[in-house]
Amino acid sequence: MTDHRHPRGAELNLSLVVTLGAVVGLVVGLLTASFVLAIFALNDWLLISPRARMMFEHRAWLAAAAVAVPTLGGLVVGLLHRFIAEGRPHGPPDVIAAVQTRQGRLPLRPGLLSAVSSLVSLGSGASVGQYGPLVHMGGTLGSVGARLLRAGRSDDNIAIACGVAAAIATAFKAPLAGILFAHEVVLRHFALRAFAPVAAAAIAGYVIEDLVFERPPLFHVAAAEIVHRWEYLVFLAMGAAGALVAAAYMRAVLGAAWLAPRSHIPRVLRPAAAGAVLGTAALWVPDILGIGAETLRFATIAGAIPPPELALILVAKLLATAMCLGFGFSGGLFSPALLIGALFGALCGNAVALVTGGVQATMVVYAVAGMVAVTAPVIGAPMATLLIIFELTGSYTLTTAALASVALANLTSARVFGRSLFDVQLRRRGLDLSAGRSRALLQGERIAPLVQPAPVTLAPDLPIAAAIDTLGRRGRAEGYLVDADGSYRGTVTLAALEARRGQGAAPVLDAAEAERPVVAADSSLWVAVDQARTLTGEALPVVERGGRRLVGVLSEVALSRAHVETLDAVRREEHGGG
Amino acid sequence: MPSDGRNMVAGKPGRHAAADHLLMCGLVLAMVLPPGSALLAAPNPAYMHQPDAPAAATGAPPAAPRAEVAAPTGDPPMLTIATWGGAYEQAQRAALFEPFTARTGIEIRVAQYDGGLTELRAQHADGEVTWDVVDMTMSDTLTACREGLLRPLPHDDLPPSPDGTPARRDFIAGALTRCGIAHTAYATVIAYDRRAFPGIRPDRVADLFDLERFPGRRALQQAPFGNLEWALHAYGVPTADIYRLLSTRRGLRLALARLADIAEQVVWWQDGATPARLLEQGDVVMATGYNGRFFAAMADRGAPIEILWDGQIQELENWAVTAGSRHLDAAKRFIRWATSTDALTRFARHLPYGPTRRSASRRVSGHIGTGIDMQPHLPTHPFNDRNTIVKDVEWYAWTHDRIRRLFRSWLTEYALGDPALSGGLRLKP
Repeated sequence: MTDHRHPRGAELNLSLVVTLGAVVGLVVGLLTASFVLAIFALNDWLLISPRARMMFEHRAWLAAAAVAVPTLGGLVVGLLHRFIAEGRPHGPPDVIAAVQTRQGRLPLRPGLLSAVSSLVSLGSGASVGQYGPLVHMGGTLGSVGARLLRAGRSDDNIAIACGVAAAIATAFKAPLAGILFAHEVVLRHFALRAFAPVAAAAIAGYVIEDLVFERPPLFHVAAAEIVHRWEYLVFLAMGAAGALVAAAYMRAVLGAAWLAPRSHIPRVLRPAAAGAVLGTAALWVPDILGIGAETLRFATIAGAIPPPELALILVAKLLATAMCLGFGFSGGLFSPALLIGALFGALCGNAVALVTGGVQATMVVYAVAGMVAVTAPVIGAPMATLLIIFELTGSYTLTTAALASVALANLTSARVFGRSLFDVQLRRRGLDLSAGRSRALLQGERIAPLVQPAPVTLAPDLPIAAAIDTLGRRGRAEGYLVDADGSYRGTVTLAALEARRGQGAAPVLDAAEAERPVVAADSSLWVAVDQARTLTGEALPVVERGGRRLVGVLSEVALSRAHVETLDAVRREEHGGG
Repeated sequence: MPSDGRNMVAGKPGRHAAADHLLMCGLVLAMVLPPGSALLAAPNPAYMHQPDAPAAATGAPPAAPRAEVAAPTGDPPMLTIATWGGAYEQAQRAALFEPFTARTGIEIRVAQYDGGLTELRAQHADGEVTWDVVDMTMSDTLTACREGLLRPLPHDDLPPSPDGTPARRDFIAGALTRCGIAHTAYATVIAYDRRAFPGIRPDRVADLFDLERFPGRRALQQAPFGNLEWALHAYGVPTADIYRLLSTRRGLRLALARLADIAEQVVWWQDGATPARLLEQGDVVMATGYNGRFFAAMADRGAPIEILWDGQIQELENWAVTAGSRHLDAAKRFIRWATSTDALTRFARHLPYGPTRRSASRRVSGHIGTGIDMQPHLPTHPFNDRNTIVKDVEWYAWTHDRIRRLFRSWLTEYALGDPALSGGLRLKP
């Protein structure tokens, strides 16, 4: 069986796929760790990090730097994005789309440009996350690796997942979370063929992180204790409430993206404008600048931030992130969501302390439960988020609290918003993943390669008797009526003609089938399959879009074979054992 | 400035770390460090007269240069080593300088200095660099290296450990920098009076701030260093995050708030000798200070003091070669030799400062003099080194002045009187 959609590239030997995964993991691991270190260096150098600001001698210039650095950073980002065809940075949604539609092939150039613009965004203190860009960079490098080996689409997808897993494994020092994230968010299946290379990539990334860079755990928590068993009920409720915070956050991001083109600020200047606003606001609420690791830590300390300030920072960070992303800074959603969630959790912790009069010692548990409740719905990955928390904190107690809070979070958020911000963004770009992957795939495949020339064309004014004769001679049961200028006029079947044999001199047009569905030449397989539901004959006539000219026909046999093949490829990819 | 600095000389490495930065930054030392005080302890009398100190080697005939010693042009060179005075110098003479001379025939002249880069910069500017090797704090080493005052040192020819572990893996993390080879780690620690807590004993930094479980007075240094770090650590902030959080107003406020919780039970000390004495006399139940000082009180006077190693604050001390040294080969040979496992081990038997080589840490045996096993007293011993705060020397270099002002105004606010008037020591009635 030839596969018309895979003109180039065959299925690779399994050991080669695993090797590819490991190599992708090593390269992505190195780049990811360098990327993270570069952000730290830029933050120090550009007076974004509190430590650098503290050590800076000329105190008077600090305020100026806080405003100027994000503004100028935004300008650079705006200029960089002019070199990307879509005028926007690429990110995790592009990775998901590439894999889910099997269109595959993440392009290198926008990938590199997006990585650089993310580095500038994060380095200059924009309120965006660092993990989205890393996921996209990892996926892009994986895809490039697969292309170098001339791999087929399935293996390209696996290589993308390898890059994603390695990026997460390195950035969070969390190989388990990396593997799960790649499966849960990107691949959305658990085939063994994919698992082996993805695991190899995650381990490679982890080893690189551990050996070469020797960073301490990102969010070490020394001791956490859940004092009362009833607190698990609180965590469950926090999950549902946190999902609402997450929904507000995602709506704000989409809202800012809606507002940006209506702001009358030229596209290239929008990030700079956002940077100026951000820097100015940061003079009053410094916590919104940059990744905010310090604020995240404070949120876990009882009494470090009074509740009104917690609420203020939560709202400010939410709006700042929405503005930065909406107005064109390049970056992710995850780290700001972590901070917003931790602040939300701390607020819940304070509320509980108010009621019971003292569970303050466990503030870190509430902060972490809040983190998970807000973050998991945003990225649409409850299990990966849970594992990230487990590997970040190294605390099983915290993980059980996180489990309780994540239980209801994604469900609630899916009800009020959608599966994740990625999926909603993709739907707005015309890719609906909510109906499952097969629909996305059928939507992604064009019918063009399946269209064949019409076997018998008849002039509409041909007499019925002559038409019967022609069809009989050609051994066909259907004829397509095309007038002198090539326009499609209808379809006749031999059966209908035979029924009118008595009116042999009447034009064949009289016998044309009334409701024969047609399909436009550039339609997707999904549309064709849908049209074919009412098809009673042999083939769908294919006409040019917007006109009537007959391009050819799409036989029902070819269509159903393509349909089956597409679903079969998905099945093989998703259940492939190697 | 130099006179202030000299007052601080106290015969131990590293104690000048902050002071050097202050010199470097042109800040006023005297305000926070009155004469006689130091960021580290004053010379330890116990070490001033080592039983086997200089005299032990003076009578020895000069050893004939061995085959490994290159003596290309007649007389072996005279090496000038700048180091801190006092007991520290004594220990170095006994453990390093004299054995080196005996072994190689290379004479060593000791130049005393008070830390900082002033003299080295002056020598460099005059083109008359008389020092060959300098014993420097980590922060000074980094700065001097950047300024080109030091010669980059290769790490490849450092000898492996006796069991064959390459030097690069034998040295602890961060010990090898471009221009410096760190040789010892010293620590600022929390200690307590064993008699004060017969039942449960303090075992973590947070216990310093826990007046309920561990009631009684505490002796803290009248300076921000140490106090702020421990106060924040007591909230559960991991050691790696402490300086980042202290860089925010919120972090400083939190740290001072925790100090305020215990302020009425605090005795503020300035002289490094004070905390051990207060513990020994039973005037306080807990105290912060320098590990060598507490060790001395335990070893020499049998004081019932226990060091709580959780949250110890460590800094490294380096050997470096001046850029203008005319005896480069001899200088490098000395450093290679002085940072070998044997030499580091020997030095640690005089002073309880942690050797920077893992192999040396394992080998350190009894104290020369009392025979006390030095192992459990080293800051770098694995049991002691489980939760260590590494002093952020750069951070202190740039912020010490501001932090100190903040600390002083806080201290005034919490009204323990004017410490200067009470001679740096105020005991609550």
